[in-house]
Amino acid sequence: MSDPIVLGVETSCDETGVAVVRGDEVLSNVLSSQVEAHARFGGVVPEVAARAHVEAIRALTHRALARAGVHPMDLDAVAATRGPGLAGALMVGFSYGKTLAWAMSKPFLGIDHMEGHLFAPRLEGPGYRPPAVVLLASGGHSQIVHMPDWGVYEVMGSTIDDAAGEAFDKLARFLGMGFPGGPAIDRASEKGDPQAVRFPRALADRPFDLSFSGLKTAVTTFVRTHHRAGTLPPISDLAASLQEAIVDALVEKTLNAVEATGATTLGGGGGVLANRRLRARLSEEAERRGLSLHLPSPVLCLDNGAMVACAGVFRYRRGERTPWEAEVDSSLRLGS
Amino acid sequence: MRYVAIETATGATSIALGDGREMVAAAARTDRRGHVGFLVPALDFCFAQAGWRPQEIDVVAVDVGPGLFAGIRAGLATAQALAGAAGVPLAPVCSLDAVAFRAATGHRRIWAVVDARRREVAVAPYRPVPGGVVRDGPVELVGINGFRGLLEDDPSQKLVVGDWAALPEGELTGIHGVRTGGPRHPTASAVMEVARGLAERGAFPHPDEVRPFYLRDPDVTINWSDFRQEGPWPG
Ligand SMILES: [Zn+2]
Repeated sequence: MSDPIVLGVETSCDETGVAVVRGDEVLSNVLSSQVEAHARFGGVVPEVAARAHVEAIRALTHRALARAGVHPMDLDAVAATRGPGLAGALMVGFSYGKTLAWAMSKPFLGIDHMEGHLFAPRLEGPGYRPPAVVLLASGGHSQIVHMPDWGVYEVMGSTIDDAAGEAFDKLARFLGMGFPGGPAIDRASEKGDPQAVRFPRALADRPFDLSFSGLKTAVTTFVRTHHRAGTLPPISDLAASLQEAIVDALVEKTLNAVEATGATTLGGGGGVLANRRLRARLSEEAERRGLSLHLPSPVLCLDNGAMVACAGVFRYRRGERTPWEAEVDSSLRLGS
Repeated sequence: MRYVAIETATGATSIALGDGREMVAAAARTDRRGHVGFLVPALDFCFAQAGWRPQEIDVVAVDVGPGLFAGIRAGLATAQALAGAAGVPLAPVCSLDAVAFRAATGHRRIWAVVDARRREVAVAPYRPVPGGVVRDGPVELVGINGFRGLLEDDPSQKLVVGDWAALPEGELTGIHGVRTGGPRHPTASAVMEVARGLAERGAFPHPDEVRPFYLRDPDVTINWSDFRQEGPWPG
Protein backbone atom coordinates (compact mmCIF):
# COMPACT_ATOMS: atom_id res chain seq x y z
CA MET A 1 0.00 0.00 0.00
CA SER A 2 1.38 3.41 -0.91
CA ASP A 3 1.94 5.99 1.78
CA PRO A 4 -1.16 8.02 2.64
CA ILE A 5 -1.22 11.72 1.82
CA VAL A 6 -2.63 13.81 4.66
CA LEU A 7 -3.30 17.53 5.00
CA GLY A 8 -2.51 18.83 8.50
CA VAL A 9 -3.99 21.99 10.02
CA GLU A 10 -2.67 23.51 13.25
CA THR A 11 -4.22 26.57 14.94
CA SER A 12 -3.86 25.87 18.65
CA CYS A 13 -1.92 28.99 19.58
CA ASP A 14 -0.29 31.80 17.61
CA GLU A 15 1.00 30.02 14.51
CA THR A 16 -1.33 29.12 11.67
CA GLY A 17 0.24 26.02 10.14
CA VAL A 18 -0.88 23.95 7.17
CA ALA A 19 1.11 21.11 5.62
CA VAL A 20 0.88 18.15 3.29
CA VAL A 21 2.66 14.98 4.36
CA ARG A 22 3.02 11.66 2.52
CA GLY A 23 3.90 8.92 5.00
CA ASP A 24 6.81 10.47 6.90
CA GLU A 25 7.76 12.83 4.07
CA VAL A 26 6.92 16.53 4.22
CA LEU A 27 5.62 17.68 0.81
CA SER A 28 4.88 21.21 2.02
CA ASN A 29 4.78 22.98 5.36
CA VAL A 30 3.58 26.59 5.40
CA LEU A 31 3.30 28.78 8.43
CA SER A 32 1.90 32.21 9.13
CA SER A 33 3.42 33.45 12.33
CA GLN A 34 1.64 36.04 14.42
CA VAL A 35 4.73 36.89 16.45
CA GLU A 36 4.63 40.52 15.37
CA ALA A 37 0.96 40.91 16.22
CA HIS A 38 1.54 39.58 19.73
CA ALA A 39 4.93 41.23 20.30
CA ARG A 40 3.14 44.54 20.87
CA PHE A 41 1.41 43.00 23.87
CA GLY A 42 4.35 40.98 25.17
CA GLY A 43 2.48 37.70 24.93
CA VAL A 44 -0.13 35.75 23.01
CA VAL A 45 -3.57 37.36 23.16
CA PRO A 46 -6.27 34.71 22.54
CA GLU A 47 -8.68 36.97 20.64
CA VAL A 48 -5.86 38.36 18.47
CA ALA A 49 -4.75 34.80 17.71
CA ALA A 50 -8.23 33.60 16.74
CA ARG A 51 -8.73 36.59 14.45
CA ALA A 52 -5.45 36.02 12.68
CA HIS A 53 -6.19 32.31 12.10
CA VAL A 54 -9.48 32.92 10.34
CA GLU A 55 -7.81 35.45 8.05
CA ALA A 56 -4.91 33.15 7.17
CA ILE A 57 -6.33 29.64 7.04
CA ARG A 58 -7.84 29.63 3.55
CA ALA A 59 -4.91 31.14 1.69
CA LEU A 60 -2.38 29.02 3.62
CA THR A 61 -4.21 25.82 2.80
CA HIS A 62 -4.28 26.67 -0.88
CA ARG A 63 -0.55 27.49 -0.74
CA ALA A 64 0.27 24.24 1.08
CA LEU A 65 -1.57 22.17 -1.54
CA ALA A 66 -0.01 24.11 -4.42
CA ARG A 67 3.52 23.75 -3.02
CA ALA A 68 3.01 20.05 -2.47
CA GLY A 69 1.65 19.68 -6.01
CA VAL A 70 -1.27 17.77 -4.54
CA HIS A 71 -4.84 18.16 -5.73
CA PRO A 72 -7.28 18.13 -2.81
CA MET A 73 -9.00 15.06 -4.26
CA ASP A 74 -5.67 13.19 -4.01
CA LEU A 75 -5.62 13.57 -0.24
CA ASP A 76 -6.34 10.43 1.76
CA ALA A 77 -7.39 12.33 4.87
CA VAL A 78 -7.47 15.70 6.59
CA ALA A 79 -6.12 16.15 10.11
CA ALA A 80 -6.54 19.16 12.40
CA THR A 81 -5.53 19.95 15.95
CA ARG A 82 -8.37 19.27 18.39
CA GLY A 83 -6.53 20.47 21.52
CA PRO A 84 -4.98 21.41 23.84
CA GLY A 85 -4.70 25.12 23.14
CA LEU A 86 -6.72 28.32 22.99
CA ALA A 87 -10.37 27.36 22.39
CA GLY A 88 -11.15 30.21 20.00
CA ALA A 89 -8.01 29.53 18.00
CA LEU A 90 -8.57 25.77 17.86
CA MET A 91 -12.12 26.22 16.57
CA VAL A 92 -10.90 27.91 13.40
CA GLY A 93 -8.56 25.20 12.14
CA PHE A 94 -10.71 22.35 13.46
CA SER A 95 -13.87 23.68 11.75
CA TYR A 96 -11.97 24.38 8.57
CA GLY A 97 -10.28 20.99 8.42
CA LYS A 98 -13.40 19.06 9.35
CA THR A 99 -15.56 20.78 6.75
CA LEU A 100 -12.89 20.35 4.07
CA ALA A 101 -12.75 16.63 4.79
CA TRP A 102 -16.52 16.30 4.78
CA ALA A 103 -16.95 18.27 1.54
CA MET A 104 -14.43 16.02 -0.23
CA SER A 105 -15.74 12.80 1.34
CA LYS A 106 -12.40 12.16 3.05
CA PRO A 107 -11.76 10.83 6.53
CA PHE A 108 -11.17 13.44 9.22
CA LEU A 109 -8.81 13.10 12.16
CA GLY A 110 -8.81 15.40 15.18
CA ILE A 111 -5.27 15.34 16.57
CA ASP A 112 -3.81 15.96 20.00
CA HIS A 113 -1.36 18.82 19.60
CA MET A 114 1.14 17.12 21.92
CA GLU A 115 0.97 13.92 19.89
CA GLY A 116 1.86 16.07 16.89
CA HIS A 117 5.02 17.22 18.66
CA LEU A 118 5.78 13.61 19.59
CA PHE A 119 5.54 12.59 15.94
CA ALA A 120 7.50 15.51 14.46
CA PRO A 121 10.95 13.83 14.76
CA ARG A 122 9.73 11.13 12.35
CA LEU A 123 9.66 13.74 9.63
CA GLU A 124 13.42 14.32 9.95
CA GLY A 125 14.52 10.85 8.94
CA PRO A 126 14.55 7.25 10.08
CA GLY A 127 15.73 5.96 13.44
CA TYR A 128 13.28 7.71 15.74
CA ARG A 129 11.27 4.96 17.32
CA PRO A 130 9.86 3.85 20.66
CA PRO A 131 10.64 3.21 23.41
CA ALA A 132 11.52 6.88 23.69
CA VAL A 133 11.55 9.71 26.16
CA VAL A 134 10.56 13.04 24.65
CA LEU A 135 10.96 16.51 26.08
CA LEU A 136 8.17 18.83 24.95
CA ALA A 137 8.75 22.45 25.89
CA SER A 138 7.21 25.64 24.53
CA GLY A 139 5.49 28.80 25.66
CA GLY A 140 2.30 26.85 26.31
CA HIS A 141 3.48 23.48 27.57
CA SER A 142 6.36 21.66 29.26
CA GLN A 143 6.15 17.90 29.61
CA ILE A 144 8.40 14.90 29.72
CA VAL A 145 6.68 12.03 27.97
CA HIS A 146 7.56 8.35 27.91
CA MET A 147 6.44 6.71 24.68
CA PRO A 148 6.79 2.90 25.06
CA ASP A 149 5.11 2.43 21.68
CA TRP A 150 3.57 4.62 18.98
CA GLY A 151 0.34 6.06 20.24
CA VAL A 152 1.01 5.02 23.85
CA TYR A 153 2.01 7.84 26.15
CA GLU A 154 2.90 8.21 29.76
CA VAL A 155 3.33 11.80 30.91
CA MET A 156 6.12 11.40 33.46
CA GLY A 157 6.58 15.01 34.40
CA SER A 158 5.24 18.45 33.72
CA THR A 159 5.64 21.96 34.98
CA ILE A 160 3.90 22.84 38.21
CA ASP A 161 3.78 26.54 37.33
CA ASP A 162 5.08 28.28 34.19
CA ALA A 163 5.92 26.51 30.95
CA ALA A 164 9.60 26.77 30.02
CA GLY A 165 8.89 29.13 27.12
CA GLU A 166 6.71 31.24 29.38
CA ALA A 167 9.64 31.54 31.81
CA PHE A 168 11.85 32.71 28.95
CA ASP A 169 9.18 35.21 27.84
CA LYS A 170 8.59 36.65 31.29
CA LEU A 171 12.28 36.94 32.13
CA ALA A 172 13.08 38.50 28.77
CA ARG A 173 10.33 41.00 29.33
CA PHE A 174 11.62 41.79 32.79
CA LEU A 175 15.04 42.38 31.30
CA GLY A 176 13.58 44.57 28.56
CA MET A 177 14.55 42.14 25.80
CA GLY A 178 11.26 41.83 23.92
CA PHE A 179 8.94 39.01 22.83
CA PRO A 180 9.30 36.13 22.20
CA GLY A 181 11.82 35.76 24.99
CA GLY A 182 13.49 32.45 24.09
CA PRO A 183 15.22 33.63 20.90
CA ALA A 184 16.12 36.98 22.52
CA ILE A 185 17.80 35.27 25.49
CA ASP A 186 19.45 32.70 23.22
CA ARG A 187 21.03 35.54 21.20
CA ALA A 188 22.00 37.62 24.22
CA SER A 189 23.64 34.56 25.82
CA GLU A 190 26.02 34.03 22.94
CA LYS A 191 28.94 35.94 24.44
CA GLY A 192 27.87 35.51 28.05
CA ASP A 193 29.25 33.36 30.84
CA PRO A 194 26.67 30.78 31.92
CA GLN A 195 28.46 30.37 35.26
CA ALA A 196 28.43 34.11 36.06
CA VAL A 197 25.45 33.86 38.39
CA ARG A 198 24.26 30.66 40.03
CA PHE A 199 20.47 30.70 39.91
CA PRO A 200 18.33 27.99 41.58
CA ARG A 201 17.74 24.82 39.60
CA ALA A 202 15.27 22.00 39.70
CA LEU A 203 12.81 20.73 42.27
CA ALA A 204 14.85 18.30 44.31
CA ASP A 205 11.99 16.14 45.59
CA ARG A 206 10.18 15.58 42.29
CA PRO A 207 12.39 13.76 39.82
CA PHE A 208 10.47 14.51 36.64
CA ASP A 209 8.51 17.70 37.33
CA LEU A 210 9.57 21.22 36.42
CA SER A 211 9.07 24.56 38.11
CA PHE A 212 10.24 27.99 37.07
CA SER A 213 8.65 30.32 39.58
CA GLY A 214 11.62 30.10 41.95
CA LEU A 215 13.96 31.06 39.14
CA LYS A 216 11.73 33.96 38.19
CA THR A 217 11.83 35.30 41.74
CA ALA A 218 15.58 34.73 42.04
CA VAL A 219 16.31 36.63 38.82
CA THR A 220 14.06 39.58 39.63
CA THR A 221 15.43 39.84 43.17
CA PHE A 222 19.00 39.56 41.92
CA VAL A 223 18.52 42.23 39.27
CA ARG A 224 16.75 44.66 41.57
CA THR A 225 19.35 44.30 44.32
CA HIS A 226 22.34 44.66 42.03
CA HIS A 227 20.76 47.40 39.99
CA ARG A 228 20.36 49.46 43.15
CA ALA A 229 23.92 48.70 44.24
CA GLY A 230 25.26 49.46 40.75
CA THR A 231 26.84 46.01 40.55
CA LEU A 232 24.77 44.51 37.76
CA PRO A 233 26.73 42.07 35.60
CA PRO A 234 26.59 42.46 31.79
CA ILE A 235 23.25 41.39 30.33
CA SER A 236 24.99 38.70 28.28
CA ASP A 237 26.21 37.02 31.50
CA LEU A 238 22.82 37.35 33.12
CA ALA A 239 21.02 35.95 30.08
CA ALA A 240 23.48 33.07 29.77
CA SER A 241 23.14 32.28 33.48
CA LEU A 242 19.38 32.19 33.58
CA GLN A 243 19.29 30.25 30.32
CA GLU A 244 21.68 27.76 31.90
CA ALA A 245 19.34 27.35 34.87
CA ILE A 246 16.36 26.61 32.61
CA VAL A 247 18.37 24.30 30.37
CA ASP A 248 19.86 22.46 33.37
CA ALA A 249 16.42 21.81 34.79
CA LEU A 250 15.05 20.54 31.47
CA VAL A 251 18.06 18.31 30.80
CA GLU A 252 18.23 16.89 34.32
CA LYS A 253 14.56 15.94 34.49
CA THR A 254 14.61 14.48 30.99
CA LEU A 255 17.64 12.33 31.81
CA ASN A 256 15.97 11.18 35.03
CA ALA A 257 13.10 9.94 32.86
CA VAL A 258 15.48 8.21 30.47
CA GLU A 259 17.12 6.40 33.39
CA ALA A 260 13.83 5.44 34.99
CA THR A 261 12.40 3.97 31.79
CA GLY A 262 15.53 2.56 30.18
CA ALA A 263 14.52 4.24 26.91
CA THR A 264 17.27 4.33 24.29
CA THR A 265 15.73 7.03 22.12
CA LEU A 266 15.54 10.67 23.14
CA GLY A 267 13.35 13.17 21.30
CA GLY A 268 12.22 16.74 21.62
CA GLY A 269 9.60 19.17 20.42
CA GLY A 270 8.15 22.62 21.04
CA GLY A 271 9.62 26.06 20.46
CA VAL A 272 12.05 25.87 23.41
CA LEU A 273 13.78 22.96 21.66
CA ALA A 274 15.03 25.50 19.13
CA ASN A 275 17.24 26.93 21.92
CA ARG A 276 20.84 26.32 20.88
CA ARG A 277 22.20 25.76 24.37
CA LEU A 278 19.50 23.18 25.12
CA ARG A 279 20.19 21.37 21.85
CA ALA A 280 23.93 21.33 22.53
CA ARG A 281 23.47 20.01 26.06
CA LEU A 282 21.05 17.31 24.97
CA SER A 283 23.38 16.11 22.24
CA GLU A 284 26.34 16.01 24.65
CA GLU A 285 24.35 13.94 27.11
CA ALA A 286 22.93 11.67 24.41
CA GLU A 287 26.40 10.98 23.10
CA ARG A 288 27.77 10.27 26.58
CA ARG A 289 24.93 7.83 27.28
CA GLY A 290 24.70 6.27 23.85
CA LEU A 291 21.18 7.47 23.25
CA SER A 292 19.73 7.92 19.79
CA LEU A 293 18.85 11.65 19.78
CA HIS A 294 16.13 13.13 17.56
CA LEU A 295 15.59 16.87 17.75
CA PRO A 296 13.60 18.25 14.83
CA SER A 297 14.93 21.27 12.99
CA PRO A 298 13.57 24.50 14.49
CA VAL A 299 10.74 24.80 11.93
CA LEU A 300 9.39 21.40 12.98
CA CYS A 301 9.92 22.17 16.69
CA LEU A 302 7.54 25.10 16.48
CA ASP A 303 3.82 24.47 16.18
CA ASN A 304 3.28 23.43 12.57
CA GLY A 305 0.89 21.59 10.29
CA ALA A 306 3.36 18.86 9.31
CA MET A 307 3.45 17.34 12.79
CA VAL A 308 -0.35 17.27 12.84
CA ALA A 309 -0.42 15.61 9.43
CA CYS A 310 2.22 13.09 10.57
CA ALA A 311 0.15 12.06 13.58
CA GLY A 312 -2.81 12.03 11.18
CA VAL A 313 -1.05 9.51 8.94
CA PHE A 314 -0.56 7.26 11.96
CA ARG A 315 -4.19 7.51 13.04
CA TYR A 316 -5.45 7.12 9.48
CA ARG A 317 -3.41 3.93 9.03
CA ARG A 318 -4.96 2.54 12.18
CA GLY A 319 -8.37 3.07 10.63
CA GLU A 320 -9.40 5.76 13.09
CA ARG A 321 -11.92 8.46 12.16
CA THR A 322 -13.08 11.46 14.16
CA PRO A 323 -16.86 11.84 14.05
CA TRP A 324 -18.37 14.90 12.36
CA GLU A 325 -19.98 16.07 15.59
CA ALA A 326 -16.61 16.34 17.38
CA GLU A 327 -15.80 19.55 19.25
CA VAL A 328 -12.42 21.03 20.10
CA ASP A 329 -11.04 20.28 23.56
CA SER A 330 -8.87 23.13 24.84
CA SER A 331 -7.71 21.11 27.85
CA LEU A 332 -7.18 17.79 26.06
CA ARG A 333 -4.72 15.56 27.91
CA LEU A 334 -2.30 13.29 26.15
CA GLY A 335 -3.53 9.74 25.89
CA SER A 336 -7.11 10.53 26.89
CA MET B 1 -28.34 28.39 -8.49
CA ARG B 2 -27.73 26.22 -5.48
CA TYR B 3 -27.13 28.13 -2.24
CA VAL B 4 -25.77 26.89 1.05
CA ALA B 5 -26.30 29.39 3.88
CA ILE B 6 -24.57 29.25 7.25
CA GLU B 7 -25.78 31.23 10.25
CA THR B 8 -23.78 31.19 13.52
CA ALA B 9 -23.68 34.82 14.66
CA THR B 10 -26.12 34.44 17.55
CA GLY B 11 -27.27 31.71 19.90
CA ALA B 12 -29.56 30.44 17.12
CA THR B 13 -27.49 28.44 14.67
CA SER B 14 -28.86 27.27 11.34
CA ILE B 15 -28.00 25.87 7.95
CA ALA B 16 -30.17 26.21 4.86
CA LEU B 17 -29.96 24.82 1.34
CA GLY B 18 -32.04 26.38 -1.39
CA ASP B 19 -32.28 28.19 -4.69
CA GLY B 20 -31.96 31.67 -3.22
CA ARG B 21 -35.69 31.97 -2.54
CA GLU B 22 -37.07 28.63 -1.44
CA MET B 23 -35.38 26.30 1.02
CA VAL B 24 -35.00 22.66 0.10
CA ALA B 25 -33.43 21.61 3.41
CA ALA B 26 -32.65 23.22 6.74
CA ALA B 27 -31.34 22.45 10.20
CA ALA B 28 -31.36 24.66 13.28
CA ARG B 29 -30.59 24.64 16.96
CA THR B 30 -30.44 27.14 19.82
CA ASP B 31 -27.31 27.27 21.91
CA ARG B 32 -24.60 29.85 22.38
CA ARG B 33 -21.96 27.15 22.30
CA GLY B 34 -21.23 24.06 20.29
CA HIS B 35 -21.20 25.59 16.81
CA VAL B 36 -18.20 23.48 15.87
CA GLY B 37 -19.96 20.23 16.66
CA PHE B 38 -23.22 21.21 15.01
CA LEU B 39 -22.16 22.54 11.62
CA VAL B 40 -20.82 19.52 9.75
CA PRO B 41 -23.51 17.08 10.97
CA ALA B 42 -26.09 19.73 9.97
CA LEU B 43 -24.54 20.08 6.51
CA ASP B 44 -24.44 16.31 6.18
CA PHE B 45 -28.11 16.06 7.12
CA CYS B 46 -29.20 18.90 4.80
CA PHE B 47 -27.27 17.63 1.80
CA ALA B 48 -28.77 14.17 2.30
CA GLN B 49 -32.26 15.69 2.56
CA ALA B 50 -31.77 17.75 -0.56
CA GLY B 51 -30.04 14.98 -2.47
CA TRP B 52 -27.18 17.36 -3.31
CA ARG B 53 -23.46 16.75 -3.38
CA PRO B 54 -21.02 19.43 -2.15
CA GLN B 55 -19.49 19.73 -5.63
CA GLU B 56 -22.86 20.70 -7.10
CA ILE B 57 -23.37 23.97 -5.20
CA ASP B 58 -22.95 27.48 -6.66
CA VAL B 59 -22.62 29.84 -3.67
CA VAL B 60 -21.84 29.61 0.03
CA ALA B 61 -23.49 32.43 1.97
CA VAL B 62 -22.31 33.11 5.49
CA ASP B 63 -23.25 35.49 8.29
CA VAL B 64 -20.05 37.36 9.17
CA GLY B 65 -21.51 39.29 12.11
CA PRO B 66 -21.76 41.32 14.18
CA GLY B 67 -22.53 38.81 16.92
CA LEU B 68 -20.76 36.04 18.84
CA PHE B 69 -17.11 36.07 17.81
CA ALA B 70 -16.46 32.36 18.28
CA GLY B 71 -19.63 31.41 16.43
CA ILE B 72 -18.88 33.75 13.54
CA ARG B 73 -15.39 32.34 13.14
CA ALA B 74 -16.59 28.74 13.27
CA GLY B 75 -19.21 29.57 10.63
CA LEU B 76 -16.77 31.45 8.43
CA ALA B 77 -14.08 28.74 8.65
CA THR B 78 -16.72 26.18 7.69
CA ALA B 79 -17.94 28.35 4.80
CA GLN B 80 -14.38 28.93 3.57
CA ALA B 81 -13.66 25.20 3.51
CA LEU B 82 -16.93 24.31 1.79
CA ALA B 83 -16.61 27.07 -0.80
CA GLY B 84 -12.98 26.13 -1.39
CA ALA B 85 -13.74 22.44 -1.82
CA ALA B 86 -16.57 23.21 -4.23
CA GLY B 87 -14.67 25.99 -6.02
CA VAL B 88 -17.52 28.49 -5.59
CA PRO B 89 -17.73 32.06 -4.27
CA LEU B 90 -18.37 33.11 -0.68
CA ALA B 91 -21.15 35.62 -0.05
CA PRO B 92 -20.72 37.51 3.24
CA VAL B 93 -23.93 38.69 4.88
CA CYS B 94 -24.30 41.10 7.80
CA SER B 95 -26.31 39.62 10.68
CA LEU B 96 -28.38 42.80 11.04
CA ASP B 97 -29.28 42.71 7.33
CA ALA B 98 -30.53 39.16 7.76
CA VAL B 99 -32.61 40.15 10.80
CA ALA B 100 -34.13 43.21 9.09
CA PHE B 101 -34.84 41.27 5.90
CA ARG B 102 -37.37 39.12 7.69
CA ALA B 103 -39.06 41.98 9.57
CA ALA B 104 -42.72 42.15 8.62
CA THR B 105 -43.60 45.81 8.32
CA GLY B 106 -45.45 47.95 5.86
CA HIS B 107 -44.10 51.40 6.51
CA ARG B 108 -42.22 51.55 9.82
CA ARG B 109 -38.50 52.22 9.89
CA ILE B 110 -36.80 49.04 11.09
CA TRP B 111 -34.14 48.96 13.77
CA ALA B 112 -32.38 45.61 13.81
CA VAL B 113 -30.63 44.51 17.01
CA VAL B 114 -28.06 41.78 17.63
CA ASP B 115 -26.73 41.13 21.12
CA ALA B 116 -23.02 41.94 21.31
CA ARG B 117 -22.76 40.98 25.02
CA ARG B 118 -21.14 43.06 27.75
CA ARG B 119 -24.21 45.29 27.87
CA GLU B 120 -23.79 46.36 24.28
CA VAL B 121 -25.88 45.77 21.19
CA ALA B 122 -25.11 46.07 17.49
CA VAL B 123 -27.83 48.05 15.72
CA ALA B 124 -28.65 49.47 12.29
CA PRO B 125 -31.70 51.19 10.76
CA TYR B 126 -33.50 49.96 7.62
CA ARG B 127 -36.19 51.23 5.33
CA PRO B 128 -38.67 48.72 3.92
CA VAL B 129 -38.75 48.55 0.11
CA PRO B 130 -40.65 46.18 -2.21
CA GLY B 131 -39.02 42.75 -1.93
CA GLY B 132 -36.82 43.57 1.04
CA VAL B 133 -35.13 46.28 3.06
CA VAL B 134 -32.42 48.88 2.50
CA ARG B 135 -30.01 49.86 5.24
CA ASP B 136 -30.17 53.63 5.60
CA GLY B 137 -27.74 54.31 8.42
CA PRO B 138 -24.51 52.97 9.88
CA VAL B 139 -24.06 49.69 11.73
CA GLU B 140 -23.15 50.72 15.26
CA LEU B 141 -22.15 49.14 18.53
CA VAL B 142 -23.94 50.98 21.28
CA GLY B 143 -24.38 50.71 24.99
CA ILE B 144 -27.93 50.11 26.11
CA ASN B 145 -28.54 53.78 26.85
CA GLY B 146 -26.97 54.69 23.54
CA PHE B 147 -29.61 52.70 21.73
CA ARG B 148 -32.35 54.49 23.56
CA GLY B 149 -30.80 57.77 22.41
CA LEU B 150 -30.75 56.62 18.78
CA LEU B 151 -34.42 55.69 18.93
CA GLU B 152 -35.39 58.95 20.62
CA ASP B 153 -33.56 60.91 17.91
CA ASP B 154 -35.42 59.07 15.15
CA PRO B 155 -38.75 60.85 14.55
CA SER B 156 -40.26 58.06 12.40
CA GLN B 157 -42.59 55.25 13.42
CA LYS B 158 -40.19 52.47 14.40
CA LEU B 159 -40.17 48.70 14.53
CA VAL B 160 -37.41 47.20 16.68
CA VAL B 161 -36.58 43.64 15.63
CA GLY B 162 -33.94 41.11 16.61
CA ASP B 163 -32.61 40.51 20.05
CA TRP B 164 -34.36 43.39 21.81
CA ALA B 165 -35.03 40.97 24.64
CA ALA B 166 -31.33 41.31 25.48
CA LEU B 167 -32.09 44.88 26.57
CA PRO B 168 -33.07 45.49 30.20
CA GLU B 169 -36.79 45.37 30.79
CA GLY B 170 -38.52 48.69 30.23
CA GLU B 171 -35.62 50.04 28.17
CA LEU B 172 -37.85 50.67 25.14
CA THR B 173 -40.89 52.00 27.00
CA GLY B 174 -41.85 55.63 26.75
CA ILE B 175 -40.07 56.22 23.44
CA HIS B 176 -42.28 57.80 20.80
CA GLY B 177 -43.53 55.49 18.05
CA VAL B 178 -41.66 52.32 19.00
CA ARG B 179 -42.99 48.85 18.52
CA THR B 180 -41.15 45.56 18.88
CA GLY B 181 -41.47 42.55 16.61
CA GLY B 182 -39.84 39.54 14.97
CA PRO B 183 -37.68 37.95 13.97
CA ARG B 184 -35.63 37.52 17.08
CA HIS B 185 -32.55 36.09 15.38
CA PRO B 186 -30.99 36.02 11.93
CA THR B 187 -31.70 32.73 10.14
CA ALA B 188 -29.85 30.84 7.43
CA SER B 189 -32.83 31.20 5.12
CA ALA B 190 -32.67 35.01 5.45
CA VAL B 191 -28.91 34.88 4.93
CA MET B 192 -29.54 32.96 1.72
CA GLU B 193 -32.04 35.52 0.45
CA VAL B 194 -29.80 38.47 1.26
CA ALA B 195 -26.95 36.69 -0.52
CA ARG B 196 -29.12 36.29 -3.60
CA GLY B 197 -29.08 40.09 -3.87
CA LEU B 198 -25.27 40.00 -3.91
CA ALA B 199 -25.31 37.24 -6.52
CA GLU B 200 -27.67 39.16 -8.77
CA ARG B 201 -25.38 42.17 -8.67
CA GLY B 202 -22.37 39.89 -9.28
CA ALA B 203 -20.89 41.46 -6.18
CA PHE B 204 -18.91 38.58 -4.66
CA PRO B 205 -15.72 39.71 -2.94
CA HIS B 206 -12.46 37.80 -3.19
CA PRO B 207 -12.63 35.05 -0.54
CA ASP B 208 -9.62 36.47 1.34
CA GLU B 209 -11.58 39.69 1.78
CA VAL B 210 -14.43 37.90 3.52
CA ARG B 211 -13.69 38.59 7.18
CA PRO B 212 -15.68 38.66 10.38
CA PHE B 213 -17.47 41.91 11.12
CA TYR B 214 -16.43 42.36 14.75
CA LEU B 215 -17.21 46.02 15.48
CA ARG B 216 -15.01 45.70 18.55
CA ASP B 217 -11.25 45.59 18.98
CA PRO B 218 -9.77 42.61 20.79
CA ASP B 219 -9.44 43.15 24.52
CA VAL B 220 -5.90 43.31 25.54
CA THR B 221 -5.34 43.29 29.23
CA ILE B 222 -2.24 41.52 30.39
CA ASN B 223 -1.42 41.39 34.05
CA TRP B 224 2.31 41.72 34.32
CA SER B 225 2.09 42.98 37.89
CA ASP B 226 5.38 41.47 38.97
CA PHE B 227 7.21 42.56 35.85
CA ARG B 228 8.23 46.00 34.83
CA GLN B 229 7.70 47.42 31.37
CA GLU B 230 11.37 48.10 30.77
CA GLY B 231 14.49 46.36 31.93
CA PRO B 232 17.32 48.02 33.76
CA TRP B 233 19.34 48.28 30.55
CA PRO B 234 18.57 50.87 27.89
CA GLY B 235 17.12 49.61 24.60
ZN1 LIG C 1 3.18 23.23 20.73
